[in-house]
Amino acid sequence: MYTYNPIYALLIFIVVSMVIFLLFRPNRGLFWKIRSIYRIDDKIVIEDILKQLYHNEAKQIGINFLVNALGYRDSTIISGIDKMIDGNLVYFEGEHLTLTEEGHDYALKIVRVHRLWERYLAEKTGFDKSEWHGIAERKEHETDDEEAKNLASSLGNPIFDPHGDPIPTSSGKIAELDSIPLSGLKVGDIGKIINIDDNPELIYKQILAENIHIGSQLKVLENNTTRVTFYSEGEEYRLAPIVAANIKVLKVNTPEEILEDNVIRLTGLKPDETAIIEGISKESRGDSRRRLLDLGFVKGAEISIDLVNPFGEPTAYFVKGTTIALRDDQARKILIKKD
Amino acid sequence: MDKRNIQNIIALANELRWKIGDDFHDNLAEGIYADAAEIVEDAIIDKNRDRKERLDNKIDRIVTSRVWGFPIMFSILALVLWITIKGANYPSAFLADILLGDVRPMLKSFAASLNFPWWLSGFLIDGVYLAVAWVIAVMLPPMAIFFPLFTLLEDFGYLPRVAFNLDYLFKKSGAHGKQALTMSMGFGCNAAGVVATRIIDSPRERLIAIITNNFSLCNGRWPTQILLATIFIGAVVPASLSSIVSLGAVFGIAVLGIFFMFFVSWTLSKTLLKGEVSTFNLELPPYRPPDFWRTIYTSIIDRTLIVLWRAIVFAAPAGAVIWLISNLYIGDQSIAAWMIHYLDGFGFLIGLNGVILLAYIVAIPANEIVIPTILMLTVLVTGMHIGEGAGVMFELDSVNDTASVLKAGGWTLLTAINVMLFSLLHNPCSTTIYTIYKETKSMKWTVLASILPIIMGFVVTFVVAQLWRIFVN
Amino acid sequence: MDVLPHSNCENCQHFNADGLKKLGVDTTDFDFVVALAGNPNTGKSTVFNALTGLRQHTGNWPGKTVTRAEGAFQYNEKKYKLVDLPGTYSLLSTSDDEEVARNFILFGKPDVTVIVVDANRLERNLNLVLQILEITDKAVLCLNLMDEAKRNNIEINIRSLAKDLGIPVVPASARYKEGIPELIQTISDVASGKIICKPHRIKNIPKDIEEAVKILSLKIKKEFPNIPNSRWIAFRLLEGDNQIIEALESGVFV
Ligand SMILES: Nc1nc2c(ncn2[C@@H]2O[C@H](COP(=O)(O)OP(=O)(O)OP(=O)(O)O)[C@@H](O)[C@H]2O)c(=O)[nH]1
Ligand SMILES: [Mg+2]
Repeated sequence: MYTYNPIYALLIFIVVSMVIFLLFRPNRGLFWKIRSIYRIDDKIVIEDILKQLYHNEAKQIGINFLVNALGYRDSTIISGIDKMIDGNLVYFEGEHLTLTEEGHDYALKIVRVHRLWERYLAEKTGFDKSEWHGIAERKEHETDDEEAKNLASSLGNPIFDPHGDPIPTSSGKIAELDSIPLSGLKVGDIGKIINIDDNPELIYKQILAENIHIGSQLKVLENNTTRVTFYSEGEEYRLAPIVAANIKVLKVNTPEEILEDNVIRLTGLKPDETAIIEGISKESRGDSRRRLLDLGFVKGAEISIDLVNPFGEPTAYFVKGTTIALRDDQARKILIKKD
Repeated sequence: MDKRNIQNIIALANELRWKIGDDFHDNLAEGIYADAAEIVEDAIIDKNRDRKERLDNKIDRIVTSRVWGFPIMFSILALVLWITIKGANYPSAFLADILLGDVRPMLKSFAASLNFPWWLSGFLIDGVYLAVAWVIAVMLPPMAIFFPLFTLLEDFGYLPRVAFNLDYLFKKSGAHGKQALTMSMGFGCNAAGVVATRIIDSPRERLIAIITNNFSLCNGRWPTQILLATIFIGAVVPASLSSIVSLGAVFGIAVLGIFFMFFVSWTLSKTLLKGEVSTFNLELPPYRPPDFWRTIYTSIIDRTLIVLWRAIVFAAPAGAVIWLISNLYIGDQSIAAWMIHYLDGFGFLIGLNGVILLAYIVAIPANEIVIPTILMLTVLVTGMHIGEGAGVMFELDSVNDTASVLKAGGWTLLTAINVMLFSLLHNPCSTTIYTIYKETKSMKWTVLASILPIIMGFVVTFVVAQLWRIFVN
Repeated sequence: MDVLPHSNCENCQHFNADGLKKLGVDTTDFDFVVALAGNPNTGKSTVFNALTGLRQHTGNWPGKTVTRAEGAFQYNEKKYKLVDLPGTYSLLSTSDDEEVARNFILFGKPDVTVIVVDANRLERNLNLVLQILEITDKAVLCLNLMDEAKRNNIEINIRSLAKDLGIPVVPASARYKEGIPELIQTISDVASGKIICKPHRIKNIPKDIEEAVKILSLKIKKEFPNIPNSRWIAFRLLEGDNQIIEALESGVFV
């Protein structure tokens, strides 16, 4: 027989809550980790190896590289490779693994599915940018050809994923772009951001935090071994060269394409100023983008600030005869031209 | 029609789409607006450009200003709540007099004249009729005052400005500024608040608003809070301070509810709902003088009566259940007594008791009947000679009498505090649950919205009870 | 062109007040279906109430009406069923409200679509009007909130607007029941075929898209000769609208 004691009751409660928290806390909970380890099977290992080989075709890749890159145990990787050799997906050239034609096609298919999922997540769900990659990484192993086809057609057979990477077609066609890393531009060059690499994650998050968008035009002001400085859409950005290397740009040479310096983000508009909308950044996607267009945030529309919020955000803009309030993260994706 | 030709058309469309690229939607939208601009150029003769001079804009500058925005907002909300709570007293008492004081004895004697057996008249009149009458008397007047007032504000165009002013706070917790309004509507009635979330056109934020609406203390719960605060909390301070302190306690519970609303909104937006689509835009319509009588009429018909009807539909069976469990016996005890017996242990653990838990179980249809049920059950288990017998809910005119019944039932200050907390944090009433299901069309979200607050209620009351017992006595 | 731009006086004579009966929710045995479409908060429900004698909830909040409401009125021996659609800014996206409105105009095949617009915000409202005119060729523009427009010193040339849009335009202040008789008369004229509309088609589209739309819409026309909106279906196919693709496959359009 036990007796009730509030201190013990409270202690038991605290212990139970802590256990539940450790097990189930989002993403890092033990339960999720165990489940994901439990779920790894040959298919996933093989597909992950294929992707590594595909993305690093220029390099010579051995088993050590794979162990480092994928974080699986040696034995898992070796048994995966054995199966791949049996299935005629890869062969050894000395120490290095090389994709066969079949292996190449398989890898391309996974890349396609991965990018389609990222596009889907960007257009049709509310997941944050930083989560797309991780979810697509999981989904790519679970999607068969038929589902991939439906996914593509429900998205209108898109050509690019949200990071600006081309999505291979089902027949393996892939759009080519002559992009160069931002760090490769010279001072005074003008470029347009077409791709932001989401790998490694740490650098990607840093770029996101700076509010740098795909589709933005930029002008390099300074480029040396310690930093790359550029002007874009009314603001100046300073990045370390290794960060800048993860941003891919197209060099803009034709004078008609070059935006004037007074093209800035809507967040740069001040009360009592009027401006003309220049367009909406590609970074605004899905329903959010369509809603903005429907509401009249289209190229050529006149816009001014109608009301300022006591908290500073959102701001109410006057556009096409109506007052509409937008939050800053939306306004940041609308480009305007000040008179 | 030839299936093959159609497949060809679709295939052709796919191919053309690949060719014209990703900008189709943008180009079309821009094209339509360009056409519109040309037509307007032709048709509008005199564009009025000095917007800043217009009355609309002047009002806006005041109600969204740093200095006046918030005071205006809070005074209006406080005024509406005050008018509702104060103003509802008289008609409520009047209705209770008629429905409980006059009509019920009439029904009773009518049933007696028809020689109804005691159990039939008990079941129908003391069970079903009483619950329905109670809900009408307590619920109708405040709703008939609150909703028209709210609708007038809505028609004038002021409410979107409130959403504009407060959006920043809601954004921080992953919600939409318009949730400020669905929440305020929830102070009137959670079911109506849930319906009102239709104004939020972003799926994620709308779900958040629906699931958290229950944290707004509704009309059915204000009286419970006020009664308990007056009896127990007002009593621990000198008499001169008691009304202020008890009012402060009720206010504190409401604010705590707002805090939980923000907290749960934030958690949901970061976890379960993070994959739902989220967009934002808030149109500020022009101010318009409300169409007074039409507004009163439609708000009474549309909101008050519909909500009331649903409540009655749910209250009637609840009344039956309450009467039955108190009058059906298993062995030597009524079902109610058995249940109370079994619930007592858990009730004690969270600082409540079996009577209170049972009252909350059978009074799911309407928070209004919680206190009458508690009183009836307390009398039932203590064997006091107050009220009108087993299964007949009652309320006492004097606060002191109520206090003595509750104290005889073993209530302490801790019990009162925990009931106040539990009244804030428990499952929504069945009308609201049903409304949530109708609005979300999803079992998953309905279940979540129903059990999340009650789990929180158990946790909070449990922790408070243990801490109280450790530190206070 | 057969469009008669209406001003108040022209119609006062035509309107047969004795022929009007508000029928409330009784929507049985109707002769014509009339849809009420428009941007949010332009007074659609107010017009609906004025026509049917019902009391649909109105409110100064964009997005008040969420599901569609139905009612009826009778005019000159003909019964009209009226459907109040949720307000939308556009028909190009995929939110629930838009789907309700779009599906009704497209698949419900109303005999007349009354587009209620806010005279103070004509340009924004035309965005939706022009889209609806791509879908249906039997439409009436109800230029509502004229009282507010007057207060704001906005003057609108009704004649030129009707000419540009190719549909009859009726100025109104629905809340004060102004312009409602004219609207009823015009609805009946369009329904009976007395007025033939020649709706505006969207012009300012980039060449490559126009080209693609032309090719597609010709093919669609060949398959479905009786539909007025092959061009709009072509727009939707280019956008990859799955609902329209399914509708094509199942032959709803025939
Ligand atoms: N001054 C004036 N106000 C009007 C007129 N017509 C409607 N209103 C007001 O405009 C507001 C909106 O009217 P509703 O009929 O609810 O608009 P709706 O188009 O149905 O709106 P949604 O259902 O949200 O799409 C209400 O406050 C009406 O009282 C009018 O002719 N003049
Ligand atoms: Mg409406």
